[in-house]
Amino acid sequence: MAAMKLFNLAKKAPVLLRPAACTAPSFQRRTKYVYVNDKEPSMEWKDITDRAAVAIFWTEIVRGHLVALGHLFKEPATINYPFEKGPLSPRFRGEHALRRYPSGEERCIACKLCEAICPAQAITIEAEERSDGSRRTTRYDIDMTKCIYCGFCQEACPVDAIVEGPNFEFSTETHEELLYNKEKLLSNGDKWESEIASNIHADHLYR
Amino acid sequence: MAKYLGLDKLQTFAKIIKQNGGIKGSLYKLYRQDELKLGTLVGEDKYGNKYYENNMYFYGRNRWVEYADYYYLDYDGSQVPAEWFGWLHYKTDLPPHLDPSRPKYPWMADHTENLSGTAKQYVPYSTTRPKIEAWCPPKKK
Repeated sequence: MAAMKLFNLAKKAPVLLRPAACTAPSFQRRTKYVYVNDKEPSMEWKDITDRAAVAIFWTEIVRGHLVALGHLFKEPATINYPFEKGPLSPRFRGEHALRRYPSGEERCIACKLCEAICPAQAITIEAEERSDGSRRTTRYDIDMTKCIYCGFCQEACPVDAIVEGPNFEFSTETHEELLYNKEKLLSNGDKWESEIASNIHADHLYR
Repeated sequence: MAKYLGLDKLQTFAKIIKQNGGIKGSLYKLYRQDELKLGTLVGEDKYGNKYYENNMYFYGRNRWVEYADYYYLDYDGSQVPAEWFGWLHYKTDLPPHLDPSRPKYPWMADHTENLSGTAKQYVPYSTTRPKIEAWCPPKKK
């Protein structure tokens, strides 16, 4: 008997508890929709003659030409490259460089962390003791054609010696010119130190 | 009133022609740089390239370099020295002569353009002695 009561309650409950909107019949006409198909063209005489006039007088072609004419007098949206250049980040990873201490001593201590982390195995290092007893590289080669410019080498470097500088205009005519050795990397560092140091300074709060 | 009739455009055009050195100078610049622009001179580097700015143009076009005259048509993007590189690429608003944090060490080298394809191009060589040395046959006596 108690079960019967519960059943009755469940039948009556919707009427009492549900919000009014839900009680509306499910076959209600839907009004909130968007018709996406092409509409039939109107067959009124006025509309038919308007369409014929548009076709005869080529108004669409004329309007298209006027848009093109207007763009002739607008400021171009492109930049005039060798004179104007696009924005770069201080974290931009371009051509590699080996840096020096302010005294002029080279920073690299041949720890070979960059060689170990390089995912493309583009770096080759050989080290020897220098005549004054310090450990330095005798060979520091980067194959720039193997390099993927991931920046792991500069992150691995404990003395900030190898960095990816800001320069991206080092394309060459032959393959062999991109097989950089230590002298080339050091001379890159000497040329770009001003910009490399200011990039590191710009990013020092985030390192 | 002049603005509504578009006369300020003509004024700007006259100013551009005047700044670029009259009609003849403007034609020369148009030939060399494909574009005539109006701007204030921000500075000049030691290689003779001149740097201009005018914020009337949109970001990306409001700073530009005019390469030194001796380059003629051999101008190249890599002729911008490291000191001005950051300013031209919108990394900093400080031109190098106003930026106190830029280092100047005596060992810093002069800038060179990309020398690929010239006689002074970089050619790789080994910076260490070879591990294998060629055998030199003893001479017969």
